[in-house]
Amino acid sequence: MIELRNVTKRYISGGVTINAVDEASLKVTDGEFIAIVGHSGSGKTTLVSLMGGLTKPTTGNVFVGGTDIWTLENRQLALLRSEKIGFCFQFSSLIQTLTCLDNVRLPASFAAGEKGGAGHAQELLEMVGVPDKAKAYPSELSGGQQRRVAIARALINEPGIILADEPTGDLDEDTETDIMDLFEQVNARGVTIVMVTHSRHLAARAVRTLVMESGTLSESSKTSS
Amino acid sequence: MEEHLGGRQLGDNEIILGSNAHVFMGKSESQVGDVEHFYGQEFTVVGILDPTGIGIDDSGFVTIKSVYEMARQSDFRAVKKLEINEGDISALMVNVDSGADRGDVASQIEVDIRGVAVVTSHELMSSSIARQLESLTPGLLLIGAGFWLIAVLMIGALFSMVVNERRRELGLLQAMGATRGFIFRLVMLEAVQLTAIGGAAGLAVGAVAMLIIKGPIAASLGIEYLWPGTVFIASFALGYLVMAVATGILAALYPAIVASRLEPYQAIRTGE
Repeated sequence: MIELRNVTKRYISGGVTINAVDEASLKVTDGEFIAIVGHSGSGKTTLVSLMGGLTKPTTGNVFVGGTDIWTLENRQLALLRSEKIGFCFQFSSLIQTLTCLDNVRLPASFAAGEKGGAGHAQELLEMVGVPDKAKAYPSELSGGQQRRVAIARALINEPGIILADEPTGDLDEDTETDIMDLFEQVNARGVTIVMVTHSRHLAARAVRTLVMESGTLSESSKTSS
Repeated sequence: MEEHLGGRQLGDNEIILGSNAHVFMGKSESQVGDVEHFYGQEFTVVGILDPTGIGIDDSGFVTIKSVYEMARQSDFRAVKKLEINEGDISALMVNVDSGADRGDVASQIEVDIRGVAVVTSHELMSSSIARQLESLTPGLLLIGAGFWLIAVLMIGALFSMVVNERRRELGLLQAMGATRGFIFRLVMLEAVQLTAIGGAAGLAVGAVAMLIIKGPIAASLGIEYLWPGTVFIASFALGYLVMAVATGILAALYPAIVASRLEPYQAIRTGE
């Protein structure tokens, strides 16, 4: 479960104090698929980064699996990010100098256990629909294919949580649909998914929708059941 | 010398040549066993000296009896008469016992034998190329230190640029579970690899440069160019590589620390 308690993230830009996230409280239960919608600059990405421990809140607490993550040492926090959370970013986040297979296996090198085997990585590439791209480099793939590989990478350590920031950002409609189908497939396996999007159309595919506006988080008036 | 001649002394018709003496004999090389003629007298080459960088390399060594005989026979055998009278000597090299003071020995000789001028090896070398080179050493070291400092600053700037260029990638690695220590070691390892390769390349270039300029150096200074021993060269090369790597580590230290302290979120959003 992920829980935010009165979390604020404050920046000072050009002498002006900005609350990118303002007193946000949220509980995400295991296996939930939630979408966070909002305009650009509303604080969606900051909120998701707070959930994943990528940035420290100015005030408030972030709990993952019942643990306040900012009480952990750096090594423990890094291990938590590696084993419990998978990230999908808006931009092409693959390492250009590694093959797709090696990109998928990369997070496993930071985790305990033996989840980074080539066989497991190949299975994930098959699951996301690019089984023949194992030896290809990211520059040889389309945007949609790179997103699929990024999803496979996010799943290599079998995390309980996927945090996806605009995963279909600049993709065509068909590819968008394919990616959302993948997320639903992953969610059906019990993985919690928190997806940030500016598209209410895509948010409708989530079970629950939250709205981010000028740093303030609120429940959507229309939540899918 | 007796040790190198198998326990015997140099014979009257035998000669030991300096390493470069063959050039004055108009030959490409000399070998032990060759028979040479000097002032009409026949000598067998029984040894060839290693290079010394001084006039000994151009010399030949025979018994004093052979010198007087050669002078006597040169009158009718050689093209030019050798003007050396029986009993004449021009110079004596005195091998001082280990631990003995050369100055004291020199003074005693001057007292005991009138009419001789005694020169110690230190006085010989003090007026030679060695003293000239010694005077250059502090300046060369200072210039070297200056270049080293520039290298440290340039490598540091280079790695600062590298870290800046790869901020997003480093942030992604942290998102995937890389610790700060991993990021630090990643940058330092790259610095070690680059400076080791650079150091090896520098050694190779330097060695080639020395091979090219050793001739002009020897010609301009009027001495033989002698390479140091193998052990010295190997030690120098190893020490140079160690210093190159140490320089990389020192220069990349600050950029590595900066990289390890990047906040993942800010790093990932670089360029947005």
